[in-house]
Amino acid sequence: MLAMYIRVKRSKTTYFLQCDPTETILDIKQKLHALIDQPVNDQRLILVATSEVLDDSKTLADQKVENDAVVALTLKKDDNEFEDVNIERPEDFVPTP
Amino acid sequence: MKKEDTVKLISEEGFEFVIHKNAAMVSQTIRNMLTSSGSFAETQHGVVTFPEIRTVILEKVCQYFYWSLQSASGNKTEFHIEPQLSMELMMAANYLHT
Repeated sequence: MLAMYIRVKRSKTTYFLQCDPTETILDIKQKLHALIDQPVNDQRLILVATSEVLDDSKTLADQKVENDAVVALTLKKDDNEFEDVNIERPEDFVPTP
Repeated sequence: MKKEDTVKLISEEGFEFVIHKNAAMVSQTIRNMLTSSGSFAETQHGVVTFPEIRTVILEKVCQYFYWSLQSASGNKTEFHIEPQLSMELMMAANYLHT
């Protein structure tokens, strides 16, 4: 049963993650950890539609992260700050409504 | 989800889409690549490059894979396709046996 999926984007890469509305953001970060070897504490997730930084303890449903939502992944840099949102688009990218 | 359960699809412009193998196997072409016992490099590394599929089209294809899994499990939502993408999307779908 596939309840929903989200698209996590950073630079030129998109991760499609299968998830459930009752899962927390921490659960999502743990899934990403398995894919990218970055500890959960070094990850920050931002809902692109609202630019809202997502809270570890809250669920996807709590924060209105819906099926097919685009979430930006940013990582902690060497100076302990998080990098800015960086999602590359192909040159011919046309935003769709 | 383990890394071994995913496959990376790379578009014409070098953009990468990491999706679950179950979703990728909606495409008969990708299924054949991933499950064949032959010498496809794709089988070993879980990376498939599509130098002829644009990023926007490949992302739409990936979204379709997941929509397809959802609709198989009872979801009745429609799959939206922008008219300007439809021709290219059909060609990609034909190639991918999707």
